[in-house]
Amino acid sequence: MAVLTCRAAISGATGEDHTVQPQEVQPVQLLTPDGKLAENEVYGPFIAELSAEKLRELYRYMAMERRLDAEATSLQRQGQLALWAPALGQEAAQVGTIAAIKSSDMVFPTYREHAMALYRGISPEELLTMFRATRHTGWDPRDHNFHVYTLVLAAQTLHAAGWAMGINQDLRMGSVPRDRAEDEIVVACIGDGATSQGDVHESMVFASSYELPLLYFIQNNHWAISVPTRTQSRGPLVNRAQGYGFEGVRVDGNDVLASYAVATKLSDEIRAGKGPKLIESVTYRMGAHTTADDPTKYRSSEEVELWEGRDPIRRYRSWLSSADHADESFFAEVDAEYKDLAADMRRSVLAMEPIDLERVFDTVYSEPHRQVETEKAWLKDYEAGFAEDQTEAGTAR
Amino acid sequence: MAETFNLPDVGEGLTEAEIVTWRTTVGATVEVNDIVVEIETAKSLVELPVPYAGIVTELLAAEGETLEVGAPLIRIAAEGEEVPDPGSAPEAASEPAEQQSPEQPAAEEKPGRSRSARAKKAAAQKREGSERGDSERGNSQRDGSARDEQKTPTQNEALVGSGPKADSASRRVRTRSTAPDLVDLEGLEIAAPASASGTYTDIADIVARASPPVRALAKRLGVAVWELVGSGRNGQITRDDVERQAQQKREQRASGQMPAPGAPAPGRRKTTPAEEGLLFEGPREENIQVRGVRKATARNVTASATTVPHVSVFKEVDVTRTMELRQALKKDPSYAGLSVSPMLFAAKAIIWAVRRNPQVNATWHDTHYTLKNYLNLGVAAATPRGLVVPVIHEAHAFNTRGLAAALTQLAIDAREGRTTPGEMQGGTVSITNIGTLGLDSGTPILPPGQASIVALGAVRKKPWVVEGQIVPRDVMVIGGSFDHRLIDGDLAGRFISDVAAVMEQPGLLID
Repeated sequence: MAVLTCRAAISGATGEDHTVQPQEVQPVQLLTPDGKLAENEVYGPFIAELSAEKLRELYRYMAMERRLDAEATSLQRQGQLALWAPALGQEAAQVGTIAAIKSSDMVFPTYREHAMALYRGISPEELLTMFRATRHTGWDPRDHNFHVYTLVLAAQTLHAAGWAMGINQDLRMGSVPRDRAEDEIVVACIGDGATSQGDVHESMVFASSYELPLLYFIQNNHWAISVPTRTQSRGPLVNRAQGYGFEGVRVDGNDVLASYAVATKLSDEIRAGKGPKLIESVTYRMGAHTTADDPTKYRSSEEVELWEGRDPIRRYRSWLSSADHADESFFAEVDAEYKDLAADMRRSVLAMEPIDLERVFDTVYSEPHRQVETEKAWLKDYEAGFAEDQTEAGTAR
Repeated sequence: MAETFNLPDVGEGLTEAEIVTWRTTVGATVEVNDIVVEIETAKSLVELPVPYAGIVTELLAAEGETLEVGAPLIRIAAEGEEVPDPGSAPEAASEPAEQQSPEQPAAEEKPGRSRSARAKKAAAQKREGSERGDSERGNSQRDGSARDEQKTPTQNEALVGSGPKADSASRRVRTRSTAPDLVDLEGLEIAAPASASGTYTDIADIVARASPPVRALAKRLGVAVWELVGSGRNGQITRDDVERQAQQKREQRASGQMPAPGAPAPGRRKTTPAEEGLLFEGPREENIQVRGVRKATARNVTASATTVPHVSVFKEVDVTRTMELRQALKKDPSYAGLSVSPMLFAAKAIIWAVRRNPQVNATWHDTHYTLKNYLNLGVAAATPRGLVVPVIHEAHAFNTRGLAAALTQLAIDAREGRTTPGEMQGGTVSITNIGTLGLDSGTPILPPGQASIVALGAVRKKPWVVEGQIVPRDVMVIGGSFDHRLIDGDLAGRFISDVAAVMEQPGLLID
């Protein structure tokens, strides 16, 4: 299989047609949908290096995400979560990529990077606090090198560029050990829809101009809520990288091995000082955009069935078995483990305490602030103005 | 123990849903998360998984019926529990379980979920309800609407209303309003920001309330903007406000109610500042906006003085030989048109002394410091705009004439206000000539990022002891300030002594 990196598709205008015909880019794929490992000179060696234990770990996290996703969706349907954004179908893209980078690399997620969060040691309970609206976030980014879920679309791409500029400054000023700063990269996660945001443009311009150690990880799950990717981008998103002056690679996001290999290769190059890189991970959002969305209203069941056939977990499981990296007892053990995880998750969600508003106000500034105190007093007064019997209901507002 | 699953808000702020299809029947066994019903909300068709395991004892709404969020939907009894006959009255199924549960810890078989006072209250309310009208209640439940239970809170209430409300029908009832325009709190010990007062005395406030064209108009018409109350949106002062005020003043003047500008107050002559208790003509106090060089200077000296511990040293030195050399150079045609000042020799002396004491030419960064192997000489200059410190880059690379030319050009640019911000960047060591102000010494504040600044005093004829004799000599004080984090008094002293040595004996400059 050829190496498929981003190439501009500018074929020149022909006659009266002045539109540029975008060239389709074949994604890098190592595992075929029926679970066969293809030869690949460039990316194959990255997989050959992986131990059976590591290969099984990839499966574990994919399965864990899927179980968590199902339980969280049910909890939302039972009124125990305010909202849930499923990552169903995107497990391989996320696990393959996060497994390829170092735990010291800072990741700036969207609000759908559940598998990545789990991989970084964030517990299901911590992950769900925001979705139950009991905290703004369930974890301290510094503990996991994993930023808080960012709900403002694409804002995290600017945060990531800023963080990467900080790494460069550290290097320049020598304020952290050189080998540590040189070894650090930043990952900015984006969805296909958010690539239309101006923030992404600014981030990529800065990343390119300053040769930042930044990896853009676009999960193209084909739908920006109800808008298909083709409406927002006439050509493959990966082609945009070249416009900014850096390399992009398109990968089959439902292939965990290809996702791992591509992310490993690109992150190694970024670490070698070659500036930013971009991954367009072609995958599919099997579920709704969020639990407040009904995808049957805008996409066909044929399309969903087509992607069902490319299921990332089934594909990987079949290869793990056929290549003797895991046996049935392993899969049974994983299933049992995550059944317990789901039950624990349910218990911990029901036991979550509502957010302490006082604390929210008290952490706005490091010192007492008149305006904040005023607003806190206003809210207290407002909260006290509800009729008795109804304030008892809906404490978790 | 029976559990009731109430209709949750499955969207963001939905208030009701229609029961489309029941996927289970009374008497069926269900597991947690089994799909039991399909509902349709304003947004979508949704399958609801049940949160309890057990046997379905009641379906509390009919297909096609619309329920409000929070209304009971289905009742599940734990397996092994006596399942009531679906045909019997609903009270038989629900009441005993609800009544006994608060008192029976054995009923708490599910971890993480405890009976609370709220549940007790719920049970009590239910009892009240049944006493109020058994027959009515029975009817309503039999037809499945269960309207009288809608406000009954049960344990594990659904999260209701996570987003914008679709309609306001289910909003919590308020007993009173909270002033939405509350902007400040009285009796707080934290100081209010200056602009929070309601008056128009603050310049920033006027700037916020009157646009530049309006302020220009007011100035032209002689209207005091700060005396106006804005009639525009958010109290904005408009052109009309200004013109109305101007018109009013004109009329008052015409009718003699108000003196013309500059005219003495009626009935008395024009007063002098002294009579008004003032120093000079003008308002008693005036707020003057800080901008430009003043603002930059304030920022820089504050940053430097508050973060850098300064240490200053001084040395008085006989500079007669330097002044003689100066006279000689002034006569040299190659220096024609160039300013040959003590500053030139001091600059040369500094370059010489920095070579011998490299650490004075550095920047401190807490964990490390950057030692510079070049010298960008900052030259402090008093200009009509204020203090500027233009920089001669790579000063060590200039010969004496070149340095004289650079200093001359720099002085002209600074005086004419042509110094660009770029020309003020990157200084590594600075010099300030306070001698031109007739002063002998001072403790200058370091420019940001620099560790040394040298201050030159005025050259004066003074009695000086030379070889046991008191003779008149040209004498000046050379001193300076240093970043003590990097430069101790010892190094500062050696550096200033080296500068002084060159000023005393410029022959040292000959390599």
